[in-house]
Amino acid sequence: MPASSSQKIVMEVGSELPALKKTITQRQIDCYSGVRPKSIHTDVEWAKAKGFPAPLAQALMSTAYVSQMMVTWLGAGFIRGGKISASFIKPVIVGDTLTARAVIKSREEENGRPRVTVECWCENQHGVKTLVGSASGFADQLRT
Amino acid sequence: MIEFKEISYEVVTVGEEFMSDDFLIKPEDVETFAFAVDDHDPWYFGDEPTPFGGKITHPVLLGNQALFMRHGKYIVPAGLHAKMQYEFIAPIRVGMRVRTRGKLIDKYEKRGRHYMVTEFATRDEETGKVLVRGQFTQMLFPKSGVHEDARKQ
Repeated sequence: MPASSSQKIVMEVGSELPALKKTITQRQIDCYSGVRPKSIHTDVEWAKAKGFPAPLAQALMSTAYVSQMMVTWLGAGFIRGGKISASFIKPVIVGDTLTARAVIKSREEENGRPRVTVECWCENQHGVKTLVGSASGFADQLRT
Repeated sequence: MIEFKEISYEVVTVGEEFMSDDFLIKPEDVETFAFAVDDHDPWYFGDEPTPFGGKITHPVLLGNQALFMRHGKYIVPAGLHAKMQYEFIAPIRVGMRVRTRGKLIDKYEKRGRHYMVTEFATRDEETGKVLVRGQFTQMLFPKSGVHEDARKQ
């Protein structure tokens, strides 16, 4: 079971971080990507001409959700020394609801500090994974 | 004077370098980003003390500065982002003037699709300090329009 946002995360391999849910609006995509014609993110007709049913959220938006999970948990240990490695495996369409999830995968020493690595992913409202990857940071200044 | 060419697998070369424009991070940039990704962490707005002696910004705030470097040389009709690696070195703050530099380190074809891999580093222009570094992989659309299987996604 994922921890709730107010619950302390058990620092054990296999523990889940609190999941984040995001329903993505066109206005959010516009703010993220900047509105311009001939953009698959902000021009409906152009997105359709390129083979998509509607504008796509920029894939990078999903790394922001992973970052949010990690900053909320690790705080300074992610801001300075954090890492994200993500593959974008399915497009995210305007109106989709993504759930970002992460599970602790390992904990190891790095220059005398505990680096924790999570396996992370985002899935849409149909349960289809759109992002898969990992993130890590130092677990010596936890916020939660 | 830059002569913009339409980007394609054939025209990009491994080893070529990219550079963003410089960018002054303003309070409204943090507000806009927070709205876009629905992340209003108090560390970004001065509502909670940070271990860094003042408010900071989202560590991923400048991702698009890296991704859009190629727009400084090429016309990019469309592209899909395939992979992203970030390493966060130092906190980013409002008031910094930042710039990203990068280099194309690989290009390849996989299952009939073309990709380019770029490494990057974003620095505080005033101090020269690296704030974020990493690499990303972008798919290049064919000149004819769209890969057929994109329609099935």
